[in-house]
Amino acid sequence: MSDHAPIVRMRAISKAFGSTVAVNGVDLDLMPGEIHGVVGENGAGKSTLMRVLSGFYADYVGEIALDGRAVRILHPGQARTLGIGLVHQELSLVPELTVADNIFLGREPLARVPGFLNLTAARIQARTLCRELGIALRPEAKVARLSIAERQLVEVAKGVALNPRVLILDEPTSSLTHQEIGRLGHIIRGLASRGVTIVYISHKLDEVFAVADRVTVLRDGRRVATAPISEWTEATLVQAMVGRDLSSLFPRSRGARGGVRLEVRHLGRKGAFRNVSFAVCSGEILGLYGLIGSGRTALAEALFGLTPAHEGDILLDGARMSIRSPLDAITHGIAMTPEDRRLRGLVPMLPVRTNLSLRALRALSRVGFIRGLRERTEVERIIQALAIHTRSQTVEVSTLSGGNQQKVLIGRWLMVPPRVLILDEPTRGIDVGAKAEVHAIIDRLARDGLAVLLISSELPEILGMSDRIVVMRDGTVAGEVTRQEASEERIMTIAAGGAAERTAS
Amino acid sequence: MQVKEPEPPSTIHLSAALTAETTLGPRIPSFRSALVTTLRDYGIYFALALLVAYFAVALPQFRTPESALLVLLQVSVIGIIAIGMTFTILTAGIDLSVGSLLAVAGMFSGVFAQKDPSAANVFLAFMLPVLIGLAGGAINGVIIAWAGVNPLIVTLGTLTAYRGFVVWYRVNPIYDLQSYYRVVGQGAVGPLPIPAVILLLMAGMAWVVLNYTRYGRYVYVVGGNPEAARAAGINVPLLKFSVYLISGFCVGVAALIFTSRLMAAQAISGQGFELQAIAAAVVGGASLFGGRGKITNTIVGALIMGVLFTGLVMLNVPAPIQQMVIGVIIITAVWLDAVLRQKGY
Repeated sequence: MSDHAPIVRMRAISKAFGSTVAVNGVDLDLMPGEIHGVVGENGAGKSTLMRVLSGFYADYVGEIALDGRAVRILHPGQARTLGIGLVHQELSLVPELTVADNIFLGREPLARVPGFLNLTAARIQARTLCRELGIALRPEAKVARLSIAERQLVEVAKGVALNPRVLILDEPTSSLTHQEIGRLGHIIRGLASRGVTIVYISHKLDEVFAVADRVTVLRDGRRVATAPISEWTEATLVQAMVGRDLSSLFPRSRGARGGVRLEVRHLGRKGAFRNVSFAVCSGEILGLYGLIGSGRTALAEALFGLTPAHEGDILLDGARMSIRSPLDAITHGIAMTPEDRRLRGLVPMLPVRTNLSLRALRALSRVGFIRGLRERTEVERIIQALAIHTRSQTVEVSTLSGGNQQKVLIGRWLMVPPRVLILDEPTRGIDVGAKAEVHAIIDRLARDGLAVLLISSELPEILGMSDRIVVMRDGTVAGEVTRQEASEERIMTIAAGGAAERTAS
Repeated sequence: MQVKEPEPPSTIHLSAALTAETTLGPRIPSFRSALVTTLRDYGIYFALALLVAYFAVALPQFRTPESALLVLLQVSVIGIIAIGMTFTILTAGIDLSVGSLLAVAGMFSGVFAQKDPSAANVFLAFMLPVLIGLAGGAINGVIIAWAGVNPLIVTLGTLTAYRGFVVWYRVNPIYDLQSYYRVVGQGAVGPLPIPAVILLLMAGMAWVVLNYTRYGRYVYVVGGNPEAARAAGINVPLLKFSVYLISGFCVGVAALIFTSRLMAAQAISGQGFELQAIAAAVVGGASLFGGRGKITNTIVGALIMGVLFTGLVMLNVPAPIQQMVIGVIIITAVWLDAVLRQKGY
């Protein structure tokens, strides 16, 4: 490749969000016509780096040169003009419009009469494009009627329609089936052979090995290595992705675990996960790890009744339970803090007190009337126990820091002691100090006999906190490892689809 | 249907080590932000006081107890409707059908108030409007809560349908109501007109419910974050249904007062009342996105509109100008509230 000049040359690129540095001094060269894989853990900075190149962040630091000429890319329109196209990780289609409308959104072919669109031309162009790409979609079809996988293909077509010189695909296969992934790989190689440079962001290693010419590994916002695919093995790639020491200390005060508290047998929900079996003991923290799209959050939501499972059994202390709604789960003593604090957890405009006591109101009231003093006392007890920093019980919960908001959510479920606590990403988006506090709380709860199911995308957290780790991949359990045998490499290998392993349990 | 829950015991003993040092300090409010916060929370009282002070200085006839009672009397019907409206707005809903429903309830009340004052007729004249209000509210509630149709659309539909029904049922007004019937709208307890007494009673009840009961708490939570409410085990559809029932009940009571005060039942009654009730609630700081609002502020909001109206009439301001002034006031109040919020106060 050294006989070509790079089409894109990125030097010392950095981008911070507040105090969080997402990308830190990264260099990257993209060659004409190459397929460049960019891999890394969740949160390693892959998407941020590519969004810088696509003009989403005008406040990045560093230099970008296109064909050897320095450019500063300040908005997506400029990136598009320069020939850089991005296919989003999150779907950005307008569901009520047709496939053709979406492909040409914002640059519809104009008719001769000013102000009118040439819809026929758009449809014909869209049809040609789909045929070229081998996508079996009618341009007239409404996007709302398409499956998620089909929508993802429309996204790709939308990117290709821009006729870009550099096309960035951000996790393009997160909801594609095996066959569709193969199809997409074919499309990508076709584009590359026509001279288009492809950036392929993924954390699925098998796909990267299947399509990429070169691979760059990012970790914690920095570039670890770039090398041709032939120089990587699955092992060295995983090593590069996770190779960091577990420097942060995780508290561990708990002793021996008790009996099996929660057991799940062959649980499944169509389109989300299938045949999931595991058990959590009282006094134990079970880590649940999986990459995006592995079904881990869907599983948690099924256990809590938000989106009930279709098949399989959930047993609590050996007794089968039917969980069809959150109320069922609560009644059986299952508690859950959601992945998205704002969406499912907090009631932002209400005071800290109201947010904390919500779950316990039934116990805190007599004939429908809330016992004010009792409520204040119990809320104060939790505020003290979890060291929630708030000026008073009456300030709006939205004014608290992320860490304290998370503590409010955990505290809500402790007002009436649960038997099983499911924590979905309990430390996402909170700073290091607060993280340590939340970890200490989780450890303490397990010591007090709670069965804890900890879901996290952060490997160090999973490894540091868990007694056992269940790894999910493609909607089912891909392996289970004990604390002693767990390592980042091992878990990443299972999660990203290396040799599947399974301990009989 | 609920499994009885244990009282929250202190079985979760987190050690003292946890409660010691943390990295997260609380925010300390500055004097300025405290001032703005006070202004935001109590600004509406200042506004009412200012208005009253202005009219009292400008108009000798405004400085009388009679005019105070007049304002209260005028405010009572809209105020009672606004109480129910506040419940629906708190859940991020709305009830546009209140004016039409008032006409239906008032009409049937009038039909029986016109008949000879037998016990049965008296009973129906007083009870029927409330029952009809509840029924109308139940229809709204069922469609909104369980069919999941947007409240704005549902009550826009019933606004039209209820009005159509009452006009179809009887287009001519009923005037010759029996004289006993005037007690609700024109009677008084000591110096206080009965409508004002009913308004204060219902506002007091609503205030207790919203501030001191579990139900009231759930109303705020469902409006503030329905997903969180569901995840906390609250029956969200049932709760949504209930607030339209409350709104319907308030409309029924208001219909009785209104018909009795006018001593006439008309199919055209109550037009535009929905907008006045919404205005009272939003001037009082209720958020149409739900979760924010106070019953006391709604009542003060209704009083502001009442004082303004009475004062402008006494100042001989022509009706069209009055409407323009009130329109500007509504927008200003809500805009000011939004500005203070955006600044993070």
